[in-house]
Order: sequence, then structure tokens, then C-alpha cells
Amino acid sequence: MSKKPTAGPALHKVIMVGSGGVGKSALTLQFMYDEFVEDYEPTKADSYRKKVVLDGEEVQIDILDTAGQEDYAAIRDNYFRSGEGFLCVFSITDDESFQATQEFREQILRVKNDESIPFLLVGNKCDLNDKRKVPLNECQVRAQQWSVPYVETSAKTRENVDKVFFDLMREIRSRKTEDSKATSGRAKDRCKKRRLKCTLL
Amino acid sequence: MKEFDDFNFSVDKYTKELTRECVGGSDLQQRKKEIEAYNEQTSAMLKQTCKKNYMQFIQTAKEISHLESEMYQLSHILIEQRNILATMTDGKTTSNLKADSIEAESSAATEDVENSQATRAVKEMVQGFNGNLEGKTFLNEGALIELDANDYRPIQRVFFFLFNDVLIVCKVKHDKRLEFLTEYDPKRIAVINIKDLDGVKNAINIITPDGSKIYQSITAAGKSEWIEKLEEAFRFDQQKKPKKGQAPQPPNRSKQQQQQAQSKSATPEKLPEQSPTDAQPKSLEDETPEWLSTASEEIQTLVAQRHFEDAQSLIKRTQEFLSMAQPKPKLLQADVIQAKIKQQEQKLTNVLLQELSNSHNRNLQIALREVRRPLKILVEMGRSRQASATLLKVCTVSLRVAQREARRNNAEISELFFCDLTQVACDFLCAFEQQPACVSALVVWCNAELQYFASQLIKHYLTKGTSLEAVAKCVERVRKPATKLTEIGLDISYHLEGLLRTTLESLIEESKQRLLDAVGRTEESWQPYNLQTKSNLKRLLLELDALGIDVRAQTTGDTWLSLTQSTVVFVRQFLQLTEHCGCLAKGETLLQSLEHLLRDLFLAHHALRPPSDMSVDPNFVMKNKIFLVDNLLPIAIEKFRKTSGRQCETMRELHTKLSRQQGAPVPRQRSVYTTDVF
Repeated sequence: MSKKPTAGPALHKVIMVGSGGVGKSALTLQFMYDEFVEDYEPTKADSYRKKVVLDGEEVQIDILDTAGQEDYAAIRDNYFRSGEGFLCVFSITDDESFQATQEFREQILRVKNDESIPFLLVGNKCDLNDKRKVPLNECQVRAQQWSVPYVETSAKTRENVDKVFFDLMREIRSRKTEDSKATSGRAKDRCKKRRLKCTLL
Repeated sequence: MKEFDDFNFSVDKYTKELTRECVGGSDLQQRKKEIEAYNEQTSAMLKQTCKKNYMQFIQTAKEISHLESEMYQLSHILIEQRNILATMTDGKTTSNLKADSIEAESSAATEDVENSQATRAVKEMVQGFNGNLEGKTFLNEGALIELDANDYRPIQRVFFFLFNDVLIVCKVKHDKRLEFLTEYDPKRIAVINIKDLDGVKNAINIITPDGSKIYQSITAAGKSEWIEKLEEAFRFDQQKKPKKGQAPQPPNRSKQQQQQAQSKSATPEKLPEQSPTDAQPKSLEDETPEWLSTASEEIQTLVAQRHFEDAQSLIKRTQEFLSMAQPKPKLLQADVIQAKIKQQEQKLTNVLLQELSNSHNRNLQIALREVRRPLKILVEMGRSRQASATLLKVCTVSLRVAQREARRNNAEISELFFCDLTQVACDFLCAFEQQPACVSALVVWCNAELQYFASQLIKHYLTKGTSLEAVAKCVERVRKPATKLTEIGLDISYHLEGLLRTTLESLIEESKQRLLDAVGRTEESWQPYNLQTKSNLKRLLLELDALGIDVRAQTTGDTWLSLTQSTVVFVRQFLQLTEHCGCLAKGETLLQSLEHLLRDLFLAHHALRPPSDMSVDPNFVMKNKIFLVDNLLPIAIEKFRKTSGRQCETMRELHTKLSRQQGAPVPRQRSVYTTDVF
């Protein structure tokens, strides 16, 4: 978890979460290799790394593509701990997957213990708008509640695929610079320090 | 006609009502016709539904049998892997243990034996481990390499023992002994399959309570085995999984066999029933044979039961019969039957084509195997063109999926592509040998696939900035199998060269610029090269020997070389480059640009002059240049010719031109200061 002391491009760790079959792997593979994969094969936990140019600066993105299936719920904590930012994906054609995002959000907050962890709510499969089951405003309301951005994507048409990854990386980056200013790497510690300051004052 | 579907339908009542309603005979006739039509329609529908159900059932059964066979393959691979690992550990452990394991192996190790064996192995081999392993189930063991999480360099070799509730990590020491490092609870670790990490292959990431670690397996199969086994350990208590080592069940083919048996038994049964064709020429005169009038329905049934071969032969028989019967118009309803049969034939074709296009599969071999049956029938039915088109579509899907998969696993994609292409071509030629039109479809298809392949190659392997060495390797890997394809009569090399040409040329041009820039930046002291130690000099000489050039004549003293350092560096670089260029120049189209690259690079280096304010020995400068022209250039030319099999005219001209120039007097240097450095 500790920051890399090595020189070289900064590394941003992104975790894909969401129910099974919503298209986490499809988004990842589209971002990594510009390909849309139609055959479905449930993921266990796969990681990818890629060098990208973020606002003129070369950085590395590490994507952890997790299992959406319920039977992996128990080990999710372990994976989530290493994440610096989360893409919480659901399918706009599947209401259940949308409901499940609530659970994922809670689990992430519990593990990271940080309300403002970089996080994007992503409604995937927006090319299937005619089969939409989750109304747009409902998604937006939820995103507002959590005060996170909401983006609709399509792994098939590549719509907004780059955007979600880059937006998240920007948030992670600004979080990191903020953190390094506060001298502590961890948000938790930072909160403590603030409290400490207050008592001093 | 709704009444028929009514539950309380009674024939008597219906007939009575009908007669009451109808006025006169003609109306009744009309009604009768309607009812008959309805009857026919219903029976056809029934059969269709039956067929659909049956298809569904078969599809599911097929799916199950595929899964079973895949399971079987998987278990087979796993067992193989285990054996390999076992032999590897055997090599490492004491002979005592070796005897044990061989014994265990030969006596078809039962689980208990395996458990106790592994337990003993841990106890005997691992220093510093004193946990209790009684009653635990052994799952897997094997050597892995631990990598640094930051720069992925190997840190140490480790050996894992995995039991149902403990993962023991040992360090492999230099004397091959194992030293206990730590142990983890498999339920508290998370395993991540590293699919893409700057070219690090077969690595997994294990998140443990004391941090995240990267381990690398030697083979891809080893990696997937570990992922699976660690997951098995993770879920061990949740579901008492069937343990490993179980005797592999042969894939359940019984269903297929039954099916085949059915179809086989059906054939002889039916044929005698349906009265032989030629035996009853008499019956032609008076009436249609019974089997003929029911043929259409019979075909429907056969199709529904998926006895396509029988259906096809019945169609054929009927058509033959009808064509024989043509001059005898007495045959009742001949036209009607003919039309029906034709319709059925069309239906069968559609069903088979459907079947064909459904068989696309991740695995090309499986797909090709599956396709064979419908393909054969379609060819017999004279539908080769449709069949070939569908087949090629199916192959396209499998081929591309396989390539994508391979690329993601960092496997060799060129070899895979050409193997698959060959396989498709062979199978295709087997099936459609007699159909020249289809063969040309194959050629067109090959070209299309080749185009796709080339575009993938360019997109993922020949990206901008790729070094000439990597380019040469990549191209070499493509060319070799491409020329092999001529063995089966497919010459695609030329086309392939054409597809890659522009990209390769721009890559060559780009490397040229890069290399020339580097020459421009060379900092030259124009002093002899001091290697400091004898062994350094020896190493350098050997290295240059390997590249094909001997500079022993230039050595002076124990550690000196009477050439400048940058000349030596250039010699090495130039010869390596010649090798790569020669490799690329096997394709004629690139020859010119490659020659220019070598020539320009050589000239650029040859033209290096000491700056006017530097005091150097002009003779020494000259000596370096003469060495380049007289020694390096001929060797490079020869090397180029050998690797590429082509003459390098441009370089020869360069050689003659430069050797002539050397006759000219030594350029006057401003400085008169000269010392004998040696």
C-alpha cells in the first residue's frame, strides 16, 4: 500500500467493482486493448497494467478486475484494501445490478474508512438504451447522494470508456497531491492529525 | 377451428352441428377441405414443436458432453503438470524421497498416501518448520519465483506447499534445501491473476496479511493451476469439493453413441419397411407407393430427430424415384409430392446451415470436428457453396478469439495463426476438394484473415518506436510459417509482405533517424581504448569473435586496443544491426531501404572528425577509418549476404568508393602535437 519510492511514472490503482455480468471485464479490455469481447466468462480476479498519458504526464494505471459473483463476496475486502479509486459498475438493463451498487459502496467505505475515496458510479451498456430498466434520474439521484460523478458507458461502442478511467485517475492524482501536502499518506491518519491540531489550538 | 382445441370437444356433436349448418353438398365439401388443411397444418406444427424440443434437449446434452470432455482434458493437463512438478521435486530431494515418490506414483497414489507423503516431504525437506500437518489435505506444491513488487526483478526462488488450510512458503537455498519462511491461511489471502504487467509472464499477485507479493510460475499452465488450487483451498470448507487425484472419468460419450446407435438401427429398420424401390415397378401403374406418400412427413420426423443422414438419403431416394416415374403420369399427386420434397430439402439445408453456424467455438479443433457431420451432408446435397461460406465464417470467429486470447496470455500469436490457418485450409480442402469455386472462396478468406492478422500485428507488435531487433524477430516469426504454407498449396508470403511493407518501411526509416541522431551525439576522445584488465580485453575479443570479426591484430600491450572506444562500440552495433537488417531483407521489397540504412549509418560514423580544437594524432584517426573500411565493411557485407541470401550492391559500391578515397593523403591537421600513446 505504501507509495512507491522508485522513480518512474506514478502508479494509480483502480478497482472495478459491480455485480456479475455488468461488463467490468468488457470495459477493462476495451480500455486496455481497444477490443470488445462478446463471450462471457466470469472473472475471478485479474490485474492489468498500462502506461498512459494523463494531462501530458506519463502515468501507469493498474486495473484490478474483480469477480462480481456473490460467492466471492467474502474475499473482496482483501482486494479493496489495495485500491486507490473505484469504478462501481452496473448495467442499465438490470435493476438488480443497480441495487447491488449500494452494497458495494458500503463495503468499500467500510474497508477504506474514507468517505471521499475516488469513486465513479458507472452505468454500462448504454448502447442498449431501448432495454433500459434503470431510469437515468434514479442513477443521478444516487450519485448525488454519494456525491460522486455518474457516467454512462458502453464497452461495445467505446462510449465514455476512456473518460471514466481518466476521470478516476485525475481524482486519484489530486487526492494524492492533497495527501502528500498533509504529509500523511493515509486519509485516516490525516483526519486524526486534523483533530490533533484542533486540540492544540 | 377453435372448437378443436376445446377440452370438451366431441366428434359427434361437432359433426351434427356441421351438417345442420351447411347447405348442400358443395358447402360440406368445402368444410371438409378446410378441416383437412387444418389437420395437415396441425400435424406439421406438432412435428416442428417436437423438433424444437428435441433440438433443445440435444443442444443441452451436447453442451454437457462438451463440458465433460473439457473437464476431462483439464484434469488430464493438471495430472500431467503434477507429474512434471513431482519429477522436478524428485530431482531436488534426497534419493530417499525419490524412492518414496516413485513408489507412491507407481502404486497409483491414493489420497492418503499423497497426504502423508507431502506431510513427510515438508517435514524432511523444510528447515525450521514445526507446525502440525496431521489430518490436512494436500492440494498442491511447486517452485515459484518471487518478484519485486516495484521493478519485477526476481528476488528469490520459493517453494510452496498448499494444504487445505495452510500455505507454507519456503525459500529455496543455494544447496537446494528449503528454508521455512512463513505460512498463510488460504482463507485470508486474495489471489490476483496478473494478465498484463510490462511483459512479465505467468505471474500472480497474492495479497497476504503482510502485504502484496508477486510470484512467477515457469509455465502458463502452472500459473493457472496455482490460481485454481488456491481457490480450492479458499473454498475448502464451504463445499467439500471433490479432491484432486481422483481417477479421471472418461468423457461421457454415451449420449452420442446412443444417438448414433439409434440412427444406425433406425436405418435398417426403416428401409425394409418402406418397400424397396425397384422391386415394385408394378405398383407404379396403379398407385403411389405408400412410403412415397408419407416421405415428406418421414423426412420431417427424421430431421426432428436429427437423423440428418437418413433424411438426406430419403430425399435422394424419393427424387430418384420420381424422376424415374416421370414418363408415367399415372402416378397420383406426383407434383404435389415433388413440391413437398423440395420444400423439405430446403428445410433440411437451412437446418444444417444453422447447425453449422452454431458450432462456432472458442477452440478451432472442436469447431472443426463438430462441423464435419453437417458439412458432409451439405456437400452431398450439392450445397457446398453455402456450406463453405458458413464454415469460413465459423472459422473466422474461432481464429480471432484464439488470437486474442493468445495475445493476452503473451503467447506466440504468429505460430498460432498459421497453424490454425493450415488446419482450416486442410479441413476445407478435404471437404470441398471437388469444388473449384469453393477453393477460391478459401483463398479469398485466407487473404481476409491475413489482412486482419497483419493489422493486429501492426497494432500490437510493430508499434512506433519498436527496435529493429524486435521488428526483425517479429517478422522472422511470421515469414517462416508463411513459407511453410506453400506445402499445402497456399502461397501467402507475397501478400503478407505487401501488407506489412509500409509499416516496416516507416519503422526502418524511424530507426535510421534514431541511429543517425545517436551517431551525431557520439563523444569521441580519439584515444586508444584501454580495457583496464586482461580479462576485460579477453571478454571483448570473444564477444567480437562471436559477431564474426577478429580484432586481435589491433591489440597492443596487455590491456590496450589501438582503436577508439567508439569505433569498437560502433563495430559491435553495426554488426548486430547488419544481422537484423539481413533478417528483414529476406523479403525483397525492403532491401533498398535497409541497404540505405546501413550505408548512411556507416557513412555517418565514417565521417566523424575530431573537432578542430582537439589535439589528436591524425594517423590514429586515419587508422580507425581504415579499419572501418578495410575490416568491418567486408565482414558486414558478407554477413548481410549470408543472412538475407541477397547481394548488397549499395554497400559494395560504398566499399569500393571508400577504399579508393583512402589512397588520398592524410588530411593536414592543424596540430603538430603527436605522441606515441602506446
